Amino acid sequence: MKRYDLIVIGAGPSGLSAGIEAAKSGANVIIFDENARPGGQLFKQIHKFFGSKEHRAKVRGFNIGSQLLKEADEAGAEVRLNSTVLGIYQDKEVVVRSGEAITHYKADAIIVATGASENMVPFEGWTLPGVIGAGAAQTMLNLHGLLPGKRVLMLGSGNVGLVVSFQLKQCGCEVVALADAAPRIGGYGVHAAKVARYGIPFYLPYTIKKVEGTDHVTGVVIAKIDQNFKFIEGSEKHFDVDTICVAVGLSPMSQLMKMAGCEMDDNPKKGGQVPVIDEHGQTSVPGIFAAGDVSGIEEASSAMIEGRQAGIYAANYLGYIDDEKMNEKEASLDAALDGLRQGMFAPSNRGKKIEKTEEGIDISENLLAKGYVADDEIERFPGVIRKIGIHPVMECTQNIPCNPCQDACPKGCIKIGSKITSLPVVDQTKDCIGCGMCVASCPGQAIFLLNENVGDGMAEVTIPYEFMSVPEKGDKGVALSRSGHPLCIAEVVSVKSSPAYDKTSLLTMRIPKEFAMKARFYKSEVLAKTV
Amino acid sequence: MNKVVDRSLGDREFVKGADDDMIICRCEEITKGEIRRAVHDGMYTMAEIRRYLRCTMGLCQGQTCAKLVKGIVARELGVPAAELEPASSRSPMRPTEMYIFANEESEEETGVCL
Repeated sequence: MKRYDLIVIGAGPSGLSAGIEAAKSGANVIIFDENARPGGQLFKQIHKFFGSKEHRAKVRGFNIGSQLLKEADEAGAEVRLNSTVLGIYQDKEVVVRSGEAITHYKADAIIVATGASENMVPFEGWTLPGVIGAGAAQTMLNLHGLLPGKRVLMLGSGNVGLVVSFQLKQCGCEVVALADAAPRIGGYGVHAAKVARYGIPFYLPYTIKKVEGTDHVTGVVIAKIDQNFKFIEGSEKHFDVDTICVAVGLSPMSQLMKMAGCEMDDNPKKGGQVPVIDEHGQTSVPGIFAAGDVSGIEEASSAMIEGRQAGIYAANYLGYIDDEKMNEKEASLDAALDGLRQGMFAPSNRGKKIEKTEEGIDISENLLAKGYVADDEIERFPGVIRKIGIHPVMECTQNIPCNPCQDACPKGCIKIGSKITSLPVVDQTKDCIGCGMCVASCPGQAIFLLNENVGDGMAEVTIPYEFMSVPEKGDKGVALSRSGHPLCIAEVVSVKSSPAYDKTSLLTMRIPKEFAMKARFYKSEVLAKTV
Repeated sequence: MNKVVDRSLGDREFVKGADDDMIICRCEEITKGEIRRAVHDGMYTMAEIRRYLRCTMGLCQGQTCAKLVKGIVARELGVPAAELEPASSRSPMRPTEMYIFANEESEEETGVCL
């Protein structure tokens, strides 16, 4: 039997954060994780995070994971990988399997941060090889360097479905369509726009009718559904695919809590079976705490803050920090958490139909139905302006808690203000120098630099570019619209990359000026026939 | 399952569904029809369903199918899924070979004993 002050189960964003805070207070901490690599889902997340600087906005997920690991190490928390917690027994005894050994550990407090697992949905053919979770596809791509398939249909338009669709494209897979049984796109509009720009069609409200194949997936039929989830005759669409990715939500992996005797609550709003916790993350069993997705599905940024809070509560329970210090630390973390829980995607707004932004601007209906803001809608948003000379255009049309663009501009052209969910505004009295820091810093890839008149009837549009084989100056390709529709021939006039851009290249394309407000993507393939 | 106590569903005729042949628990190869029929046979709780059919008892330990099985049982009973109590959680949380448990004693204890 090995003794520690605190055992943390799960080395994801919340578990690591919890371990760090508790260890910093002086507690003797061990963190177990069943995976070979720590960081939970963070190491799969190659996109830049939303939020503000304190939430590590615009840092890529896997880099946040590395930072947390380093911090855990410096704080003196032990992280044990390939170590599966098999059970929690009386008096906070924990049994851990590592390799072929079984070891017993005991602690005065336990923080369970086991996260969530993917939901599945059954349809004809769902057991065929080739039907996988979107998270599994992301693991294959970003941890193991394997393609799950070549032609993929994505089911589910929440952030997981949208982000993984984009990453599949980044890896060279063809995503034939995105279908969702809900009538509206569930994830962030900016994530949807990245996918739509590539010409991937959204089908809403559609779901899978059947998957074809005998020993593996060879095709799929989707069909439109009515309000009673019944298929509408004649709406079927067929696609040849070898892979179906399912992104239909997550469920808390809370079984260890139930085993430990914690009072549980089946709460559909939190994703399923969650422990009942008090304001200090403590379950009904004194000394057992919960943090992160296991106590209700949210996302990684809030899981990190909840983890830190749980670490502080556990340290207080163990006697390492007094109430005063706990309250002080808690208050500052609460403020950070409040910042994340604002806007139209806040937990309190889940399931509500929002028709106007906080500024009173009509939400783009086209964005919710098709994944992109229509040409006749875009100019009503405050970040989209027309101006002589180079200037930023921010196609940020939903109130999400994110503000890196405001800090990125060295000239102060971009204003969000103190409310983190406000839509960015261009300060037209300030002069844009075209440095592109705003373009590279936007986690939603929603900022573009426009010079609407460079002479000879041409305009230049600078776009964020995050694909392999970056085009070179002088290359000619096709400019695509927000919906991925080919518009015109585009000539690459500059490609910039800098360590400050963190692997986002800035590609400037020259196009006829009538397309300046429409062209939002560059495709290298020769598509002359379709233009 | 606290709120559902009436076990008279057996009187209701079992109507075969078009998708009854669909496998729900892939580890134990249990179909939707088998789960629905089990409810008609009087299995009203997840624990009973588990013992009767072995679904959610396979390699994945219900990680994939428990939520689906619960949904089917709840629909058949006509109650919200949240009202059905999930089956017990037991150690080992992950499938573990017996010989590894058998090794337990031989592991040298290096830590401080209580």
